[in-house]
Amino acid sequence: MSAAGRMASVQRFLERWGVLLAFALLFGASAWRQGGDFVSPDNLRTMLNSNAAIGVLAVGMTLVIVSAGIDLSVGSMVVLAAALGTTAMNGMIGAGWSEGASVALGACVTLGAGLAAGSVNGSLVVFGRIAPFIATLGGLAAYRSMALAIADAGEIRSQSSTLFSKLGRGGIPLGWERAGADGEMAYGGLLNAAGKPLTLTYSIIIFLAVAVVAQWVLSMSRFGRHLVAVGANETAARYAGIAVGWVRFRAYALMGLLAGLAGLMQSSRMNSVSTSGLGLSNELDAIAAVVIGGTSLRGGFGRVWGTVVGVLILGMITNILTISNVSPYWQGAVKGAVIVLAVLVQRGSRD
Amino acid sequence: MELPPSSISDAAPVRAGIPRILLAAERVTVEYPGVRALDAVSLDFRAGEIHAVVGENGAGKSTLMKVLSGAVRPTSGLVRVEGAARAFARPLDAIRAGVAMVHQELNLVPALDVAENISLGREPARGLGLLVDRRRQAARAKELLGLLGSGLDVSRAARDLSVAEAQFVEIAKCLASEAKVLIFDEPTAVLGEREADRLLGLLRRLRDEGRAVVFISHHLDEVAAVADRVSVLRDGRLVQSFARGLDEPLRDATGAAVDEARIASAMVGRELGSIYPEKGAAVADAPAIELIGFGARGRSRGVSIAVRPGEIVGIAGLVGSGRTETAEAIVGLREAEGVLRIGGREARFAGPSAAMAAGVAYASEDRKGRGLHVTLSSVANTTLPSLGRHVSLLGLRIDARSEAAATARWVREFAIRCARPELPISSLSGGNQQKFVLARWLEAAPRVLIVDEPTRGVDVGAKGEIYRIIAALARGGLACVVISSELPELIGLAHRVVVMRGGTVAGELPREKLGCADCEERIVRLASGLDEEGRAA
Repeated sequence: MSAAGRMASVQRFLERWGVLLAFALLFGASAWRQGGDFVSPDNLRTMLNSNAAIGVLAVGMTLVIVSAGIDLSVGSMVVLAAALGTTAMNGMIGAGWSEGASVALGACVTLGAGLAAGSVNGSLVVFGRIAPFIATLGGLAAYRSMALAIADAGEIRSQSSTLFSKLGRGGIPLGWERAGADGEMAYGGLLNAAGKPLTLTYSIIIFLAVAVVAQWVLSMSRFGRHLVAVGANETAARYAGIAVGWVRFRAYALMGLLAGLAGLMQSSRMNSVSTSGLGLSNELDAIAAVVIGGTSLRGGFGRVWGTVVGVLILGMITNILTISNVSPYWQGAVKGAVIVLAVLVQRGSRD
Repeated sequence: MELPPSSISDAAPVRAGIPRILLAAERVTVEYPGVRALDAVSLDFRAGEIHAVVGENGAGKSTLMKVLSGAVRPTSGLVRVEGAARAFARPLDAIRAGVAMVHQELNLVPALDVAENISLGREPARGLGLLVDRRRQAARAKELLGLLGSGLDVSRAARDLSVAEAQFVEIAKCLASEAKVLIFDEPTAVLGEREADRLLGLLRRLRDEGRAVVFISHHLDEVAAVADRVSVLRDGRLVQSFARGLDEPLRDATGAAVDEARIASAMVGRELGSIYPEKGAAVADAPAIELIGFGARGRSRGVSIAVRPGEIVGIAGLVGSGRTETAEAIVGLREAEGVLRIGGREARFAGPSAAMAAGVAYASEDRKGRGLHVTLSSVANTTLPSLGRHVSLLGLRIDARSEAAATARWVREFAIRCARPELPISSLSGGNQQKFVLARWLEAAPRVLIVDEPTRGVDVGAKGEIYRIIAALARGGLACVVISSELPELIGLAHRVVVMRGGTVAGELPREKLGCADCEERIVRLASGLDEEGRAA
């Protein structure tokens, strides 16, 4: 094979597997830098957990980007949905409803608000024929401002005494505890640093479930095939008899629903909603993860698993920089460089 | 069997002494991973000569042109411009050396006007170079278009131009760069019969001014009409060259006259029989599709055509005569007016999927832009319009095995050369892609099939196969409408030909008349506003 041919196959390899290579390198670097602490189940769980909400957004963003769209409003949808849901929940608790019913209905309001905001985006793009970048730029400003107005730019504290935060912090224990014969507690299975059973949080479970379902949808379902077809060539998709508008609308609506879900995950973890801080610049992290994962910003090609790896890569970078005492102000520069590098490496033959 | 450059010179024409060689390829070889696209090809292009390069899809024509215009670097061999060896690193280098390519896809900036497009990158300046001298810009554009015999208004925006007009502007752009060698890649593919004639006239004009014209075309009649020299590529090698003297037919190295059939057999390496299959008969009397005073709003009107099962009806007409728009209105891609009946029942479709549900399919003329998803796999392309047949769990699961089986069936049925259907369909040749355009719609099992330009950009061998497929489908009871700018194709394939002009039907040639020697002329007359006999209608 000629030198040019070898270059081309290296390029193709990087294009396809570069993201896993980067992940492995970063993982190795982190493990080397931090020794056994990094690869401990406790630390890995913490990393997954703190990136789960961004992960849910990034998975939804993958589908939108595959359809050759973009959604800049996800961070604002997160805060608006969470603000509405938490306010509704507090209202119900205040009216004397049971905590269980209030939390459940509040969660539904959060998801519903996300779905509604996403549907507005979808309608603007599909029926209003506004470019996705512009339509969702409007959403970025408007949804955040609505959330700020609801709480007068302040914080909405959850009135739920335990249940709501349990949703955000609780999970399924990966170990067990038993009282021994002598009354001492004995622990087994995966344990955290304190020697207590490790919890697989609901957030992590939700993130992974959303990712698995989305990957299925993208590669195995009719909707996924239609997303790819619309993203690759909208006109050809229309000529092939695909209801292009409906496909695109659903992508934005689904993105909204997932933003609501991410809002629920974050607000329940904090047990409050900071209307000025929650979800801030989440859209950038989500888009970055999608791009690092190898999904084409031009649409027509994407992979959810790549996005998941992209989320982990971003998480690891933050992790390693924090541990190395790099100022948080510099972390953005490093992330930016990684994003640009990812695009450079993966550009290749699709151009 | 490759000819050394010297033997080509022996057969070269004598036009005003020995013509200057402006551009030459010397033993150019291009290798891609696993393929040798060009194998030591040597050709020269001379001032005052139209040199046609022909070959089947995949023969290496496009690769050769890319080498000559600087888009591809050869693996070995070299390119000489007026004798000096040049290594073009990018197309701009070739343009600076005087070699310009007129692309099949036009590259005008839609928002700029004609004059601005022509001087793009070379704007005449005034005011210390800060401002564009609009007056000189317009004058220069007018002058260049005048050279081409075109009186196009230079203040029109490029987006408002027809394809033929845009092509003229594109050529004027090449002249503005003082190109000595102009390479035309399938220039007539997007043109109607009359615009194509005009373009061929333009090629002659450029030649007579002493430029070297390189002409690539699948239309062998055009090649035989204008080329001074014809070089035939097959499987990456130069297999034969023909040349002519002034006002003489093309001749081969032995001096025997050469016709289109001879060129075609040199291209495929065997003799070709008639490429048109035998015409069957309609299998039922009740029309499968009937248009009564039908039209696409604003584009066509008053079109009345009925097609019975088993019948192939051709639609002829110049570009812009409303053929495509009418077809698009049938399947709901455009707003329709008038009456449309499918199987006797009145219908109006919201879009192609509704039309498909009623058994009507439309295969677009624009293979790359509308007919296929070039970045998707052959499998995905085949099943896209009929994906509903290959899913379970309410569409949540696509049955990959059923998709693969359907694709394999069409690959077999149409003898498609496609070793790995899971790869992007863009890896296939144009002819094989075109077969997939038919396959994707036939997979939806239509009763009425409207095909628009079914053989555009397809080589002779694949054309014959596509004709056989369409004829066989008709014999199987499909009602076919074939829209085409290639009259021999319509005459050879269709039971009758409807001629459209200015958005409506100008006339119709029944089956008996399609056998006549002058039926092509009759169609042209109708398409250009005369009656069949040539009187102003």
